[in-house]
Amino acid sequence: MFKLNLKIALRNLKRNFVISMINIGGLSIALAAFILIVLYVNYETSYDKHNPNYENIYIVGRDLKDFKTNFTPPPLAEIIEQNCPEVALVGKMTPSNLEFPLISDAGRIYIKNTMVMNFNAAKIFDLHPQGGLKQPQGEIERLYYLNEASMRTLFPNKKDSMPELVLMGGKTLGLTAPIQGKIVPNPHSNLQFDGVAIGNNLGVAEGFGFPNYYTYIQVKPGTDIKALEAKIDRLMKAGMIKEKIDMGSLKNERVFLDPLANLHLKPQAGNDTNYKVVMALFILSMLIVVIACINFTNLTIAQANKRAKEVGIKKVLGSYRQLLTMQFITEILIQCVLSMLLALMLAELFMPTFNNLFEVPLSLAAGAEELYWMLPLILLIVTFIAGVYPALILSGFKPALVLKGNFEAGLQTSWIRKGLLVVQFSIAVIFIAGILIVNRQVEYLHTEDTGFEANQVLVIKNQMMYNKPEVFATFRDKVMKINGVKSATVANVVPGGEQTGSNGYTVEGREALLDFIDVDYDYFETLGIKLKSGRTFSKEFKSDTLNAAIINETAAAKYGLLDPVGKTIRGCNIDYKIIGVIKDFKSQGFEAAVQPTIYAMKNPCGNPRLSIMLKVDAAQMSAVLAALKAQWSGINRLDGEDFRYDFLDDLYGRLFKKQEQLKAVFFTASMLTVFIAVLGLFAFAKIMTSNRRKEIAVRKVLGASDFQVLKLLNSSFLWMLLIANVLAWPLVYLLARTWLDTFAYRVELSVVPFALAGVISLLLAVITVSLQATKAVQANPAAVLKHE
Amino acid sequence: MIRIENLEKVYKTEEIETTALNGINLQVKEGEFVSIMGPSGCGKSTLLNVMGLLDKPESGSYKFMDTELLKLNDRERSNFRKANMGFVFQNFNLIDELTVFENIELPLIYNKVPAATRKAMVNEIIQRMNIVNRSGHFPQQLSGGQQQRVAVARALVTKPKLVLADEPTGNLDSSHGNEVMELLCELNEQGTTIVMVTHSSHDAGFSNRIINLKDGHVISEKINKGITEELI
Repeated sequence: MFKLNLKIALRNLKRNFVISMINIGGLSIALAAFILIVLYVNYETSYDKHNPNYENIYIVGRDLKDFKTNFTPPPLAEIIEQNCPEVALVGKMTPSNLEFPLISDAGRIYIKNTMVMNFNAAKIFDLHPQGGLKQPQGEIERLYYLNEASMRTLFPNKKDSMPELVLMGGKTLGLTAPIQGKIVPNPHSNLQFDGVAIGNNLGVAEGFGFPNYYTYIQVKPGTDIKALEAKIDRLMKAGMIKEKIDMGSLKNERVFLDPLANLHLKPQAGNDTNYKVVMALFILSMLIVVIACINFTNLTIAQANKRAKEVGIKKVLGSYRQLLTMQFITEILIQCVLSMLLALMLAELFMPTFNNLFEVPLSLAAGAEELYWMLPLILLIVTFIAGVYPALILSGFKPALVLKGNFEAGLQTSWIRKGLLVVQFSIAVIFIAGILIVNRQVEYLHTEDTGFEANQVLVIKNQMMYNKPEVFATFRDKVMKINGVKSATVANVVPGGEQTGSNGYTVEGREALLDFIDVDYDYFETLGIKLKSGRTFSKEFKSDTLNAAIINETAAAKYGLLDPVGKTIRGCNIDYKIIGVIKDFKSQGFEAAVQPTIYAMKNPCGNPRLSIMLKVDAAQMSAVLAALKAQWSGINRLDGEDFRYDFLDDLYGRLFKKQEQLKAVFFTASMLTVFIAVLGLFAFAKIMTSNRRKEIAVRKVLGASDFQVLKLLNSSFLWMLLIANVLAWPLVYLLARTWLDTFAYRVELSVVPFALAGVISLLLAVITVSLQATKAVQANPAAVLKHE
Repeated sequence: MIRIENLEKVYKTEEIETTALNGINLQVKEGEFVSIMGPSGCGKSTLLNVMGLLDKPESGSYKFMDTELLKLNDRERSNFRKANMGFVFQNFNLIDELTVFENIELPLIYNKVPAATRKAMVNEIIQRMNIVNRSGHFPQQLSGGQQQRVAVARALVTKPKLVLADEPTGNLDSSHGNEVMELLCELNEQGTTIVMVTHSSHDAGFSNRIINLKDGHVISEKINKGITEELI
């Protein structure tokens, strides 16, 4: 029985080769996309899952009402350790983003992202450095480990696991440190670093006023997290009151515990845009599979005519409906299995491209554990969605009707098929309109005024702190002697997504949290930032280096100041005089709104000023770079031997990378969807026209022109498309709104993408249908009718 | 063998109701060869479909060797059908994707005949029907007459008690048509009961009894002895 049914199925596949290929091919493309995205979603949602204590690790964060942060003061770890027996381990770590060189006899590296952590933090994150995790001695010892690439550069011939000495900073500084060995950060962890320094305790001298540390806790299983959260909140506040810190803002502050599972995609101190993007991708991939399933269903039903006779005969010979239903479902299952195998091959084929785009190390083998139970499940679901309906239709044919010979199947089911086609095209229209809208927004990101000029600005990497303007003055004098350098300045951050610090500032008795940026002369000039009122920092005014401040429009608005110039703003124990207001500029890209910001040359609470920025004449850029390289050790003696730089527009451009990724994915997904939908329409039109061959011939005999017949064949599809468009538009509007809302600065939605999507979908349909219809129209009516 | 009483069948569409069978009473004895004749739309095909359990009447009784068949459910009907009946159609109705051999084998599979026995039975009937050299061919590769031979072979391979034939010569030229009719006669002589629907009085002449239908009624019945020889 099975053998014979298999034969029938295979011979049918062979006879309707093109349509079978469209069916299986379309499904496998969709499944391949689905497999890739499932692997990706799985990867993104399982950061740190390899950690044996994954479920029990939390970061301690602070909710400061205006924003949330994961930075906590160092004594917090000790008081948790002493007061919370339900916490098994308390770790603290602080990133050291100071970039400095390490030098050995064999080579030199620049280490940027060093994670300084205590022993317990290393235990919580399950770190396994070379030679095993060792407990440092006493309070002072730090055990240094470097990543593999650095170790290879510094000690290419190292075989043993003995510590090695390296020079830190410039050769002239003469600082050395022992490197214990290599450490390989798990790329699938939230904790990333180029190197680590492990000590017994950190920040001993720092009190509750130095929130510069991440505090991680590993709780004992079964701990009541809400209660623990409240307890740590009380401990934190008690500690702050004891040290008399920020008494006023205490009531607005609250401690929260954020599980390790949240940190990668939806940290409380951050946003959940990444999570949304991952979920959106997942939904997109499901839509693609749904489209392919609809194709499958539609094509199978549309071909029902050809199987009707078989059903009739089998029923006459003693088969019954359940048996036939099973037969057809089995047949569809086999096609789905074929599609799945093909899909696995396709997924493997496109894996490298996908990995490149998303910068992930996915592979079928690595995902095998999940795929092992997921693929059969998907297979069954797809078979069910794509197979049950056609199987019921096919097995339901009445033999008495079918076997008379001139049976036209499908008339009674045509509205369902049309409905499915409409759904399919609605999805396609959503994708077409979506890609148009995404395109416009990404275009906007590239062309819209950012409020500052990133072109021709060099950002020089530097380790010398220029916190005092008089020290930077000597640097500036030397640099300005080079032909082509227009201006030079130094600041604690560059506008490229780097976060600066924030602090409370008071104007006329109103306190607000402002971002502070510590700058030097010519900061606004170098970046081409426009002034709204007042003036910028100037050497003419001696007091500018002591207590002058400039705020941006947003800050002025926050205080409700109409004429801020001349007013006093107090923060960090200094009474600043506002000397100017600048127009807002988008230093954080287009997603985040411009923050209220204060710019000052003196800021005891600030961060080190390390980022040197030079505005250079475009025509002389290469000469300037050559000169800087040649004279660097003379210009910046303490910095070391290497002149290293970035272009500011490159740095700023990286802010758009995620959007570019999204655009690429969306584009691919849209293309796939539209492709599969068109394939479906192609096959559908092919079957429809072949079913209507007799009608076409009769019409032609009665005098219809080719064009009239073409119009007739197209018109039914065009109606469906029109309905699909009308259904899709509101959905597109909602989705586009939601996405655009993630941007603080965005394009307005217009009619154009909607109309364009309509036109494109109609054109695609007319071309696809006409390609098929033309053949039927050109056939000789006499031959067709005789055949009938 | 067959006793049909007061059979009624109405076809309904949105606008019209058509009475296809209007109180039919009919008996068929074992070993008989009965022809049903009548103009288009008289209900003869419907009657045949009901007799073959392919269609359900509104009311009436249909007894086959004292079993009331109209009470059976779908599954029981197909079980009864596959065990007792064989069908021959005007348009042959062979499965295009199966070879001659496989087409004939199909009813045996549904009757759960073991593979070895199956092969022997198919080979036997293929020889009897004189289509041995065609057994590996697909239906499209055969002439109409050959296709109908295969269809008859398929109807007979299960050795059914009743063969129902719906215009078996309708799509054939007269010489092929005669071949098929002779085949049916031969079968009948070997004891198979046959009910045949036909337009052709020539074909009806091969049978023992002719029933005339009009508008769902039996309007006449006549015994048909010796006419066969006369016509040939």
